[in-house]
Amino acid sequence: MGKHKTPMLDELEKGPWPSFVSDIKQQVENGKHVLKEAPDDLLGVMELSYEDRVTHWKHGGIVGVFGYGGGIIGRYCDQPTNFPGVAHFHTVRVNQPSSKYYTTKFLGDLLDLWEKHGSGLTNMHGSTGDIVFLGTTTDHLEPLFFEMTHELNQDLGGSGSNLRTPECCLGKSRCQYACYDTQEVCHQLTNEYQDELHRPAFPYKFKFKFDGCPNGCVASIARSDMSVIGTWRDDIRIDQKAVAAYVNGEIKPNAGAHSGRDWGKFDIQKEVIALCPTNCMCYDGKTLEINNRECTRCMHCLNVMPQALRVGVDQGASVLFGAKAPILEGAQMSTLTVPFIPMEPPYDELKDLIEKVWDWWMEEGKNRERLGELIQRKSFQEFLRVLELDPDPRMVDEPRSNPYIFWKEEEVEGGWTRDIEAYRAKHQR
Amino acid sequence: MTEDEARQLILETLKSKSKSKSKFYLKDFYAIVPDMKNREVKNLVNKMVMEGHLEYWSSGSTTLIGLKGMGKQHAEED
Amino acid sequence: MPYDPSDPLKDRITDIGPRYYAEFMPPVIQNNKGKWLYHDILEPGVLMHKAESGDEVYTVRVGGCRLMSVEHLREICQIADKHCDGYLRFTTRNNIEFMVDSKAKVQPLVDDLKSRKFPAGSNKFPIGGTGAGVTNIVHTQGWAHCHTPAIDASGVVKAVMDGIYDEFGHMRLPAPVRVSLACCLNMCGAVHCSDIAILGIHRKPPMIDTDWIDKLCELPLAIAACPTGAIKPAKSEKGQKTLEVNAERCMFCGNCYTMCAAMPLADEDGSGIAILVGGKLSNRISKPKFSKVVIPFIPNEPPRWDTTVAAVKNILDVYAADARKYERLGEWAERIGWERFFEKTNIPFTHHLIDDYRFAYTTWRQSTQFKF
Repeated sequence: MGKHKTPMLDELEKGPWPSFVSDIKQQVENGKHVLKEAPDDLLGVMELSYEDRVTHWKHGGIVGVFGYGGGIIGRYCDQPTNFPGVAHFHTVRVNQPSSKYYTTKFLGDLLDLWEKHGSGLTNMHGSTGDIVFLGTTTDHLEPLFFEMTHELNQDLGGSGSNLRTPECCLGKSRCQYACYDTQEVCHQLTNEYQDELHRPAFPYKFKFKFDGCPNGCVASIARSDMSVIGTWRDDIRIDQKAVAAYVNGEIKPNAGAHSGRDWGKFDIQKEVIALCPTNCMCYDGKTLEINNRECTRCMHCLNVMPQALRVGVDQGASVLFGAKAPILEGAQMSTLTVPFIPMEPPYDELKDLIEKVWDWWMEEGKNRERLGELIQRKSFQEFLRVLELDPDPRMVDEPRSNPYIFWKEEEVEGGWTRDIEAYRAKHQR
Repeated sequence: MTEDEARQLILETLKSKSKSKSKFYLKDFYAIVPDMKNREVKNLVNKMVMEGHLEYWSSGSTTLIGLKGMGKQHAEED
Repeated sequence: MPYDPSDPLKDRITDIGPRYYAEFMPPVIQNNKGKWLYHDILEPGVLMHKAESGDEVYTVRVGGCRLMSVEHLREICQIADKHCDGYLRFTTRNNIEFMVDSKAKVQPLVDDLKSRKFPAGSNKFPIGGTGAGVTNIVHTQGWAHCHTPAIDASGVVKAVMDGIYDEFGHMRLPAPVRVSLACCLNMCGAVHCSDIAILGIHRKPPMIDTDWIDKLCELPLAIAACPTGAIKPAKSEKGQKTLEVNAERCMFCGNCYTMCAAMPLADEDGSGIAILVGGKLSNRISKPKFSKVVIPFIPNEPPRWDTTVAAVKNILDVYAADARKYERLGEWAERIGWERFFEKTNIPFTHHLIDDYRFAYTTWRQSTQFKF
């Protein structure tokens, strides 16, 4: 039994979904974590929040490992006497391996380390993708970091005004849609930019995320300042026999994703051809045809008939910039900036792009201004000039509807300096 | 300006402001030494943290930088 | 050699990055990377991926709490050792995936996972989260760890997932439904493109702890933290240096409290939940969309947040009954029209739902096309 009565939290032990309360209690009972009282006092302070309906945590702070401006986030309880086990309860962000595969050996080693230096509680994983060690005291930070780097060959992730820990979908490791190796580029860029990840370099946070295809499983288009999304330029590969097998009901459509309800017999006209957003497909009962030049690669037909259709072989990625959550100017999604970029190691073209963006943002960005806000403030045109990219209709949904073009003097024949006397020679005052 | 001069200027500027404010955004340091490139200032500031002159303060989402040991919240945060 | 506290910089290793992912991929994944042909969802939560080589990998996906103990992770490791040769992975949405290299190994794994329950009865490893169903809710820290939350995170997620549990283990919705939770509008976990977003919001401007603020805080930092410039210096009646908040300009973000603990924002009545719907991330059929606010406020109701759970369930049920196959929640709402969305879900439309922030005009209707 824990030391605090938690009648409200206990209500969350009921019901079928895994109960985090039951889980914390088993850590209280059986855990070998060094900060003995931490899980118990976490339940205690959470119960107090359930009674009070407000949080009992305060701000960040100076804590960190020496020389790093990111990876550790200070956290202090506003009821330290009642809950001494969580009075200081700092977070440690540990850079996850690409796509979050683990061996039990490595995961076990991380758990051993965390038992030795913290609360025994984690987030698997935090919102940015890190392994999060939830709750420790300042005196454990340096030893933890030392042992993690020396014994586990493992580093911290990012926080604050740094490059944040990059994240990717599972990519080619287990997905037929992936158009580039998301794991590899994520790993290589994380290593390339270790300085930016650990030491503040920017006006605010900066995130990369790597999606292997336009299905967007890692949500890069909504959550990252630079979203790299796999795509292809040639034709969708079609296996006509497999198309026929779908039509004849020999293969279940959607890889079985809709099999929990009787939606009736699969109807290729209604479910694929008619839903294609560009109407670039037709099926005459024998042959499926795709006018690939008109295809916008929305993935619907591929998702419906994965055994018949495969992404093209001329693969790479589209790069979009500027997504962020609503603070401050309102939520933004990333804007298509580079329609196609090859994605082969050592990814020089992508790195070149990143460095141009950073130079500009470090120069022009205001404090706590995300890249997407800077682009809005300075204009997309300015952003393209910085990146030395030519404007392209693919970058907009539609051309502007207002005619208030900010012409540059050099664009106008004869410039802006004019002779008023010459004008007056023809026009009376 | 040499790196040493820049270092001195940063320390003096921060000390002179320390009564009202002990933490600064990285961009504020660019303004202290305007004739140095931003990237060099950034590198110098991070170096001064390693040297023990400055320290980081992080809210989790944003990072501020100040003179080591300064600030009203300091005692509580050790 | 061990860490030496008297010389913390001795033999220091920095900037080594994460471990190389390839060390951790099971052989069947390693061998077939980049050569996968297709996948098939055999039953909810169980996937089969087929490679060009003929190899197959079977994945069993289970829901996990993002807040997870070392004890629980040890148990996950035991399962992976017993069934999966010591390999496992986590998904972006806090699910755990156990992979095996033959069909014969699936059923023992599934049976084992289903048999494990916490003493109080909840399932440790519910199987599901695939296809046209509800997958795990991604969420933030809430009252477990955050200083600016308006709501708890783990508890609300637990209550909502209990309420819509059946949809996690079935694939009977018109399309996938992604539910996400952020415990304040700063959204350290972005939820603004979710089919259903549960968002913590504050509604009272910060209080000022006048006797203490100048002792606890650096006033210029609190002033600078305000995104709308609503905070300015002031003198108290006793002549103390203090701050003043222009309440009309406050957007209730809590950034000032981050810099200054003498400006508390959270309030038992002021803070609560807003529900947003209709966002999506994928480019499938329609473009990615933002979620829209449809319920401006629900009070905090710990421990089970009954009104919130009912609201999510209601939206999900109406959508499930009314949408066409493949239609995401936002696509459905746009097809029937938002006026019909409010009619069918029986959610009152109030002035709070009409945008009055930046670019508000782009969401007003400039047309005579509407439905009676």
